[in-house]
Amino acid sequence: MASHTSKAFLSLGRINVSALGLQKPVSRVAYATALTTTENKGLPDRTGRGPFVRKPRRDPGKPRTEKMAVDQDWTAVYPAATPFRPGSVPLPVRMGYPVKGGVPPEKKGNLELIKIPNFLHLTPAAIKKHCEAMKPFCTEWPAALDTDAKCDKHFPIKIESSDYVSAGPSVRNPSARIVDLKVKLSSLNLSEPARKKMLKLVGERYCKNTDVLTIKTDSCPLRQQNHDYAMYLLTVLYHESWKTEAWEAEKTVADMEEYSWEDSPSQRNILDMLTRMRVAVEGEGEEVREQMLGRTEVQEYKDSVTRLKNEGESESTMLQYKEAVKKVLNL
Amino acid sequence: MAAPMALRRDLCSLARILSGISHLGPRALGACSAHRTCNPIRSHVPVTSFHTATVFSSIAVSEEPDSLFQKVSLLVKGHDRAVLDSYEFFATTAAKELGVTINKVYEPSKDTERLTLLKSVHIFKKHRVQYEMRTHYRCIELSHLTGCTAQVYLEYVQRNLPEGVAMEVTKTAMEKVPDHIHEPMWKDHPVDDKPSQ
Repeated sequence: MASHTSKAFLSLGRINVSALGLQKPVSRVAYATALTTTENKGLPDRTGRGPFVRKPRRDPGKPRTEKMAVDQDWTAVYPAATPFRPGSVPLPVRMGYPVKGGVPPEKKGNLELIKIPNFLHLTPAAIKKHCEAMKPFCTEWPAALDTDAKCDKHFPIKIESSDYVSAGPSVRNPSARIVDLKVKLSSLNLSEPARKKMLKLVGERYCKNTDVLTIKTDSCPLRQQNHDYAMYLLTVLYHESWKTEAWEAEKTVADMEEYSWEDSPSQRNILDMLTRMRVAVEGEGEEVREQMLGRTEVQEYKDSVTRLKNEGESESTMLQYKEAVKKVLNL
Repeated sequence: MAAPMALRRDLCSLARILSGISHLGPRALGACSAHRTCNPIRSHVPVTSFHTATVFSSIAVSEEPDSLFQKVSLLVKGHDRAVLDSYEFFATTAAKELGVTINKVYEPSKDTERLTLLKSVHIFKKHRVQYEMRTHYRCIELSHLTGCTAQVYLEYVQRNLPEGVAMEVTKTAMEKVPDHIHEPMWKDHPVDDKPSQ
């Protein structure tokens, strides 16, 4: 029914165009909007005398945009997030894919403009008004904590957590309970053996380059609980690393974190070699070994070997080792 | 419009209230370590309200110290880049108005999820149809926010999140080393050698 009447309108349109005397009959197929359907709907009400007498449909009248002043308060027109109303927005907006040889459709009856979220309620003037109202609830950042270094000095523990906002059947997001505690070990009061024990206890969670211990907790269902658990873990780690157990005295060379040259096979080897080289010159004895230990080339060799073992193999460490060996063996 | 009237009405009580909170003011504003919520009771301050003429009731000040956020990072995800552009303008303008320092605003590269499905309900394996879903991102990094400001800003920005856009907020709070970690408790009372498990 409706299509029949709309076709009638289209045919009317074509007749008018040809009557105006245009060269080629341009068939402008328009988008089907709500306004192309006719007023009278259905046979029963045509007479107006039947059992269902409907009120005659009123004329919509001029849109509000024509009565709007240029300097009106826009925040009163769009105070909250509302769908697009073509009669309330005095802008000649066009949206949609243009018909062939045409322009995007106008805003009247345009579904594309209604579908997309609009920010008409968040103009800069509206934002300023909202912020003015919210200002009393905000607090100032303490002026003394302007650099990161000062923040780290006074507040070394950093707690990271996330919040998630999305549309869905539920507001909650289980990933919001995860808490990340980051602290620099240099800011904790730890002695050398306590620090070594702490590193052994913590293992993978410590980053050597940045000296940051990260404790990630997600075992509890609530964020507050995870936060308390992370603080508890930090406390326990701290106190346990200060404790010294009886079996820790059995620490072997394999357990050591860093390589130390004293009493190592490298020291014995180099001293044996040097002793054998000088056997003809001086007699053997303990004082000879100590004298050799005191020599600068041996010290350099010691530094290069320590560096090689601790830092791993790289261009500079290998070069340094090579130079030290050449000097010690007088090559 | 309501402002001058409120001013005249409350000017007489201004002096009385100010003298009452004068002891609170310098202590709250000066200290950096005791980071208290430094809002004095503001029932006398004329507040601009845009639609109704209600004056805000006195803002309650609690004694517990305000939390400090070194970094707050907002990541918004959406299917439409234009919507995220507008939202970014809104969020950055709101941050500037509230006096929040904006560190960085950048656009991570978009993610595209593509799937290939059969075009027909039954047979015709050679004829398929392909769909793709594009997720655009926008990241706004803010720094140096107090707990109160973060709450206000985040609530404002989240209430005005457009439909079809999701947000992920990562906050880095700063805390002091708690008192029980300053000194190990074994220092004063040395622990005997217990057989440890």
